[in-house]
Amino acid sequence: MSTNSGETGRREGSFEREPARRVFAGELRECRYQFKDGEDEKSPTFALLPTGERCNRIFLVGTLTEKQRQGDQNVFYRGRVVDPSGTFFVMAGSYQPEAMQQLAKIETPAFVAVIGKPNLYQKPDGSFLVSVRVESITIVDKDTRDLWVLDAAERTLDRIEACAAGTAPDVIKAKEQYPTIDPAVFRKMAYDALAQITM
Amino acid sequence: MLTLYSQDKTGFKLEMYDMDFSEAADRISRKFSKSGQTPDPQKIESKLRRLVQEFGVQPSEAERSVTNELAKEFNIPLPGSGGAAKSGGGTEEKKIAEAVSGEWVTIVGKIVSLSPPASPAIAQSGIIADESGAIRFVAWAKANAPAMTEGTWYRIESAVVDEYKDVPNLKIHSGTTIKELGEDRALIPNPDPIKGLHPGIGSVRAKVVQEWDASHERMLQSGLLGDETGTVKFVIWKEQGKEKLAVGAVYNIFYAQVDEFNGRLSLNLNPATILQEEGDIPVSGGETMFRGALVHIAPGSGIIKRCPVEGCNRALSRQNYCPVHEIQPKFIYDLRIKGWLDDGEKTHSILLQRDAVEVLTGINLDAAKEIAENNPLGMDEVFLQMRDKVLGRYITCHGREIDNRLLVNKCERSSFESGEHARLLNRAGGAS
Repeated sequence: MSTNSGETGRREGSFEREPARRVFAGELRECRYQFKDGEDEKSPTFALLPTGERCNRIFLVGTLTEKQRQGDQNVFYRGRVVDPSGTFFVMAGSYQPEAMQQLAKIETPAFVAVIGKPNLYQKPDGSFLVSVRVESITIVDKDTRDLWVLDAAERTLDRIEACAAGTAPDVIKAKEQYPTIDPAVFRKMAYDALAQITM
Repeated sequence: MLTLYSQDKTGFKLEMYDMDFSEAADRISRKFSKSGQTPDPQKIESKLRRLVQEFGVQPSEAERSVTNELAKEFNIPLPGSGGAAKSGGGTEEKKIAEAVSGEWVTIVGKIVSLSPPASPAIAQSGIIADESGAIRFVAWAKANAPAMTEGTWYRIESAVVDEYKDVPNLKIHSGTTIKELGEDRALIPNPDPIKGLHPGIGSVRAKVVQEWDASHERMLQSGLLGDETGTVKFVIWKEQGKEKLAVGAVYNIFYAQVDEFNGRLSLNLNPATILQEEGDIPVSGGETMFRGALVHIAPGSGIIKRCPVEGCNRALSRQNYCPVHEIQPKFIYDLRIKGWLDDGEKTHSILLQRDAVEVLTGINLDAAKEIAENNPLGMDEVFLQMRDKVLGRYITCHGREIDNRLLVNKCERSSFESGEHARLLNRAGGAS
């Protein structure tokens, strides 16, 4: 057993999985800049948060308020997940069959935990849309939702502080890409989100 | 340096000299380029050649005098360039721990270990130590350095620190002066905590917690060493006079070689001095705690079948096939969850063992068996039910970290704490 698990650990341990960032909907929807880290076809794509952190994957918990099946040949599901600061647009298509089946099964409204990858789209009218391609979605309880609000608030405040220090390359990039956004607005957003939690 | 290795042993002496000169010239010009000067290496080479070939000067002496001449020309004081009359004068000593790759150094240390040279181009290799630390050294055959003895103190002037396989290495070349010191001070290294080891040389006080099957015929023993701070893999290669360590015993291991491979450290004990110690020490076994959200559950989680052969316990395939013992119809059921725990900064690979799975999912082994045997989806149904109960939840896991994976023996769901809520409200509402 020990040598066996040692070997599998080595194989999986040699690769670093991209962490799932905690970000409120109110910040994620401000993303306008997305980039690839590396030239390779398989290099990961990152969305740059206005508070100066790159994210390839996010973890969010909120209320699934609507879901909709779309497409004929290529069936996919869209959904709206609401947190205290706004709405996440999530989608799962036939390339994520497991996630799609999970989403199809959930009755709205429900608290859901979503792990997924943010994608930035520009609509024909020129406006931007950030949608989250779901890797997995499960029904959770209110306690988990509240824990997530604490977690997302803490991480947001951490980012705002790192952004004020202003030395990390991604922070400098964020200041270039989002010259009109003052990260202080996300502090207020975090406070309001925390204040909405009722015992 | 690489050309050296490709050079055939039967290479002409003249060729060897040629290489020597350009190498020495490079060394000298590098020394000055750090101070912003750009001496011409060809000029240096011809000066060296003239001194050695026409005037019969020792190569090391030639190097020294050319260096000196240039230093005067550029008006730069140079450590380690005292000249023939007062050799060593004005040379600044450095602690071994302070030696940085790419530097010229003069150190005073004790030879704590000698190892058989890996190539005919090498006269001697081993480990030299002082109170601050230890470093591997290599003396090139053509450096004509005096042979050093284990257990003796030396002053080594003008050696070069470089990196070999990402580990700092002290090179003794033809420009290096070695002096034996009469003194003999006792040198007992402070053990490093296993968690604090880094590639190079390290000393630990640790217990042998596991012994593994040798994966190579030249390997005498491999396994896992542990102290209060963590665990590390060790290996002993077959060599005259080497003995296996006893599992469960505690050892003081002085001057082992710390290698890094695929981001994981491993201790090579062949150069080390090993002293067994009476008694026992607590071993954390990498006892750690991670908190975060469970963001992925891997296939192979849920209820699994294990090989019943004593000491095997491997997970069987769906067809009850064990990679070693083939088909095993009398398998044993077990529960486990393999997944990723993510705190937003880093994702940890985790493996929940049966007890932890039962607590977290509320499904015990009997209930899982029942589901697996009476459901059209079989074992998959257990996976799905467990996934829906734990995926996306905040949990705290305790266990031992081995090979970058946390083996979880205890875990619990995190619960909402109003104190934490109040703290964050204050933090967010504070100075904006």
